[in-house]
Amino acid sequence: MEAMQRSYKAQKVIDRMAKKLNRQIAGSLAACVHCGMCTESCHYVLANPGDPTYAPAYKADRVRKIFKRHFDWTGRVIPWWVKADSVYTDEELEELKDIAFGKCTNCRRCSLNCPMGVDFAVVNRMTRGLLVHVGIMPKGVAVVSKDQWEIGNQMGVLKEDYLDTIQWMSEELVDTLGDPGAAIPIDKNGCAVMYTINPREVKYDPRTISDAAKIFYAAEESWTMPSEGWDMTNFGLFSGDDELGGAVARRVFEKAAEIRAKCVVMSECGHGYRSTRCEGQNWAGMDVQFEMESSVVTMLRYLRDGRIKVDRSKNTLPVTYHDSCNNARSCGMFEEPRELLGLVAADFREMYPNRAENYCCTGGGGAMSMSEYTPQRLKSAKVKADQLRATGAKVVVTSCHNCVDGLTDLIRHYKLDMKVTQLVNLVADALVVEKRVAVPVPKAVPVAALAGRTILVIDDEPDVRAFLTAVLEDNGAKVVTAADGDEGLALARKEKPDLVTLDISMPGKDGGKVFEAMRRDPDLRSIRVCVITGRPELRKLIYERPVPPPEGYLDKPVSEETLLTNVRKILEVAGDQKAH
Amino acid sequence: MSGLLHFAEHRLQEAALIFMALVYTKRILWLLKFPAGKERQAPTGSRDTTKRKGILYSWAIVGMPWAMESTRTRFFTYVQFVVFHVGVTAAIALSFIIPYLPGLIENNDTLVRVFQVVIWAACAVGCMRIVRRIVDPYMRAISSPDDYFSLVLLTVWFAFAALSAPNRPDQGEGPLLAYFILTAFFLIYVPFSKISHYLYYPFTRFYFGRSMGHRGVFPIPKSVKPAFREAAAPVQAEATATTSSH
Repeated sequence: MEAMQRSYKAQKVIDRMAKKLNRQIAGSLAACVHCGMCTESCHYVLANPGDPTYAPAYKADRVRKIFKRHFDWTGRVIPWWVKADSVYTDEELEELKDIAFGKCTNCRRCSLNCPMGVDFAVVNRMTRGLLVHVGIMPKGVAVVSKDQWEIGNQMGVLKEDYLDTIQWMSEELVDTLGDPGAAIPIDKNGCAVMYTINPREVKYDPRTISDAAKIFYAAEESWTMPSEGWDMTNFGLFSGDDELGGAVARRVFEKAAEIRAKCVVMSECGHGYRSTRCEGQNWAGMDVQFEMESSVVTMLRYLRDGRIKVDRSKNTLPVTYHDSCNNARSCGMFEEPRELLGLVAADFREMYPNRAENYCCTGGGGAMSMSEYTPQRLKSAKVKADQLRATGAKVVVTSCHNCVDGLTDLIRHYKLDMKVTQLVNLVADALVVEKRVAVPVPKAVPVAALAGRTILVIDDEPDVRAFLTAVLEDNGAKVVTAADGDEGLALARKEKPDLVTLDISMPGKDGGKVFEAMRRDPDLRSIRVCVITGRPELRKLIYERPVPPPEGYLDKPVSEETLLTNVRKILEVAGDQKAH
Repeated sequence: MSGLLHFAEHRLQEAALIFMALVYTKRILWLLKFPAGKERQAPTGSRDTTKRKGILYSWAIVGMPWAMESTRTRFFTYVQFVVFHVGVTAAIALSFIIPYLPGLIENNDTLVRVFQVVIWAACAVGCMRIVRRIVDPYMRAISSPDDYFSLVLLTVWFAFAALSAPNRPDQGEGPLLAYFILTAFFLIYVPFSKISHYLYYPFTRFYFGRSMGHRGVFPIPKSVKPAFREAAAPVQAEATATTSSH
């Protein structure tokens, strides 16, 4: 087997593993005794009786064998004795992908049930990261990661759409409460609270934003929403990509520091809370000077301090509470949501098991974005469906947007007579708002423009240059072109374009070097860059550089529509930032 | 006592112990060469939990079968674990008592009987574990040759340890010789096998406990059983094409 030729990606995975191993992960990989105690803690196992391939230890062994073969002494000398084995082909990596992404939601239930303290969820996240590093991932993961890298949020919500939605919610709230002071502030400096949300709220559930605003208004809180860095979700947690995780967290942290917020409050999102509150600083490698808390804690504090009043008779349907894995098993949030629920709902029924032993909603770990695994996800959801039905509740409350989607899907699939909601909705419904003297607030929603921009096209292929030039000029841009890196850098200095489209593979100075040179040059570093390459495997040449990532990344061949959409998005974002 | 048995009880054991100590030291250094992850975030969860509490709880969890669902709901398996590991401790203790403190068990039939009962019980658990590992498809799927061999090795070692407990070479040196030769082999083999898990236990549980304590997850909160439980039939899946294919 050793004589086998190893694929480029397989070799990269092994090389990368050497860099990603820390003491915790190495310990978890070395310490498993195959006692089988974790087996029945996994909802996939319970829903697939007789299939040992779902067992946590079995799944962990798929990557453990690589660790043993390359890093552990017995496995290096007599691999067959400890079932150590290397990885050679892309097909094997694809199989590993189906396990790491398709058979585990990283819910950490098995980790808590391992007598040895093996943290399989951390091992599985590392596995995902290794695969993502070589471009092997479910399509949904690639799409979402790309949006979060390039647009700044995981659902690709443009800044103007975000601000439009906030404005819409703001106007509705002002009308409902009859007080202009109820308007949602944007980028207000020096507030006690900077409220960050999940882009899902903008796209599918804006009511949660207005409900939160209503609560802040009732509490007379000094608060604001940010125009940038508002997405506290972080797909880096799911994809295992620490670089993405760090970049996303940094956006939130930097914005909070910029507007001098005293506390970043995160809306109800389990993975967002964990990513921003717990992991973000580790990934970003930075310490923050402000506090961070879940909106659940904020709302509870308002109630405890008497800053808001509620009437729980407004929520009379029997409710149960689903602990999000990330909130509970990874961040210790167990009692606050229950206390809050007890204050705002008249009939609360505990589901069993609960708290740290609750079962995953089955939509965690990014599973909702991986449609290829939907059948096995819904099959495994039988465990959760049984658990929900046994409560007899009509409403399941959860403090996680991912869980909202996962539970909604399984409720529909298993025909349960329930609906899913969040604490913010229940608190807002139960809220007793007192009339207040109206205070006018300014409103400002900047709109970015696409036309009138200068774009520098750097590409060694004349056909590509001609195509890009034609498309961009047809849409009003002034286009200058360069056939190699050196010429490109010179033109960038001369023209100061709004955007550079950059090929990677070029004779002379390649795109990676040009990109780094631009980022390191004080005069050029603010220029937006969209990499357009025919060799996606060279992505690392860009993203592994110790400079901020490019604003866009497209694979050739690129269609006119894709090019325009992405260029427009990048320039809109740039325009908005300049406006601030 | 024959020269061979004396050699097996003393020089062989000492050499094996020194070898094991050296290899273990190297193993610990190997583990320490991996960087320890740093946690920058402020603590989350209950204010009653701290990193320190989390670590202590994590180390002690093996003695608290109620703490984890896996040990609480499989209590018989947990009892097997306890018996097995108490047997290991007794058999190791015996390997020191016989050569270095023989007076402790000489003319002390009660203590000998205690050793034998504990070690035979562990041997019986070893047999059950072997059967489980072979018969249970889940266990079979995760087992390597090392898993089977280590278990068989310990089970056979238990048998010879129990037979050697009276320390009566005058009645036949066979069991004692087998016990001490197996002990020496065991000491040399352990660092390369899954049996070395007790070396990792403090590390894995330390880091897991530190993280979970810092985040308020340890001590694991009790999963409260609701007073009201509606007797409900398991749910039926919607007959969709996606699930019917599984």
